[in-house]
Amino acid sequence: MPDSSSAPVLYHGEPNGPSLSVLAALAESGLAIECRAIDLLAGERHALPGVEVAQALEYAVEGEGPVLVANGEAMSEAVFLAQYLDEAAGGCGLQPADPYARWQMLMWCRQATERLSPAVAYLGNLAHSQARLAATGHGEFAALLATIASEDQRKRWQELRDGVIDAAKVEDSKAKVAQFAARIEAQLADGREWLMGPFSIADLETCAWLRSMRELEADAFAGQDRCLAWMDRAEARPSVQAALARATTANPAHSFAPGPEINRWG
Amino acid sequence: MADVTLYHWEPNANSGKPMLALEEKGVAWTSRYINMLAFDQHKPEYLAINPQGTIPAMTHGKLVLTESTAIMEYVDEAFPGPALMPADPQDRWRVRWWMKFMDQWLGPSFSMLGWSVFVGPKVRQLPREELEAAIERIPLPERRRAWRKAIEGDFSDEELAESRRRVALGIAMLEEELGRRDYVATDGYSLADINVFNSTYSLPVSQPDLASREKTPNIMAWLKRVYQRPAVQRTWAMGTTDLATRYRLVMEEVG
Repeated sequence: MPDSSSAPVLYHGEPNGPSLSVLAALAESGLAIECRAIDLLAGERHALPGVEVAQALEYAVEGEGPVLVANGEAMSEAVFLAQYLDEAAGGCGLQPADPYARWQMLMWCRQATERLSPAVAYLGNLAHSQARLAATGHGEFAALLATIASEDQRKRWQELRDGVIDAAKVEDSKAKVAQFAARIEAQLADGREWLMGPFSIADLETCAWLRSMRELEADAFAGQDRCLAWMDRAEARPSVQAALARATTANPAHSFAPGPEINRWG
Repeated sequence: MADVTLYHWEPNANSGKPMLALEEKGVAWTSRYINMLAFDQHKPEYLAINPQGTIPAMTHGKLVLTESTAIMEYVDEAFPGPALMPADPQDRWRVRWWMKFMDQWLGPSFSMLGWSVFVGPKVRQLPREELEAAIERIPLPERRRAWRKAIEGDFSDEELAESRRRVALGIAMLEEELGRRDYVATDGYSLADINVFNSTYSLPVSQPDLASREKTPNIMAWLKRVYQRPAVQRTWAMGTTDLATRYRLVMEEVG
């Protein structure tokens, strides 16, 4: 029997996307939670020790993101993990106290997780993870798939390995990345330092997903100077630097594993 | 008077969420019924409130709020009354997790099936030119595509089958969750119950092969607990159209 009373452990991938977002939130919170690096593209997330309740790991809408195992329960979804860390720390300033400002932050995060992250994950996986997955042996890949409970998540892994490229999704994803850069530019037009005014989870989540696109979709940032300066500020924060310092590969912005699905309906 | 106005359709799915949250909190609010089947939500008067043309929307004084789950979280934080979020951080995380799972993974499948058998056939009875004009007024391109699909009944067998697969899996997961505790995500009634209830209350009538006293006793017992809440009774009494009949049928089924 796993010991559900043992201390919580954060299992994370390379500091990119949701793993970067949560690692930085952890640093902001000041909580002493043990971090263990795992290889998301090797499927290691689906074989974690000490998990008694696994549904949030198996059916994370976010896809292959970080997992916090606490009290025997696997916890997923980067924005909610950041909220959890903020609240478990007794409030470390990652969420506004005013209800309306909080609504605004959550709405921003929802746009980031529903529109930006599926687009970035689609483009990033094709650019950086498809070749490695295609080179995986047939038996090894079949064994990996067998550990993934969610049928639609398995399908995204399989399509990535097979190199299935949907031109319409590529175009849509590129457009969404450009739209998000423009949205940030507009949000910062009044000269504010951070997206919601004060620094918040919105900055962490957005920067964590968008920074890999600076190289891959450079055109999306042409003329978006406030957006670029904001991303530099976010990356310079000690918490983000501490998260990036956990990288075990040369460029963590190249690290992707199958992410959230692109909206299938409405 | 709290100066709250809610623009909503029937106490069902997304519109039902803030209606129930406001009633649970005991907030006095003004109801503005938006007839989705007459495309009221894309008319200029409503677009002046919510340019995205989605329902529900809520105004609180000069503030405008959209997105049903986010509105509920605001209602819980902004007004006095019983707390609809637990205090423990891990329980709070679990409430949010279930709401996202519902809003983004399971809910769209419920919605696709509902639109294919209910909303689509209903609006298809309108004159074609009126429908075309209504579709053209929809501000969000993805909503425009969704409405066109529903109106033309243009769902492939493959996507309907995928929606049915998700609904069956979601019901099984909910049954398992309600075996662990009396309410979704935490030990007391919360926003997660309101969220999930609004998309699942009719299961015993709409999916009797998947949800019944024999197959899903935990879900049925939970539905009954939620039905009996005064706030639910008051909110359902606001229902019109065929849904009012459906509520009665569901009540009889759950007993």
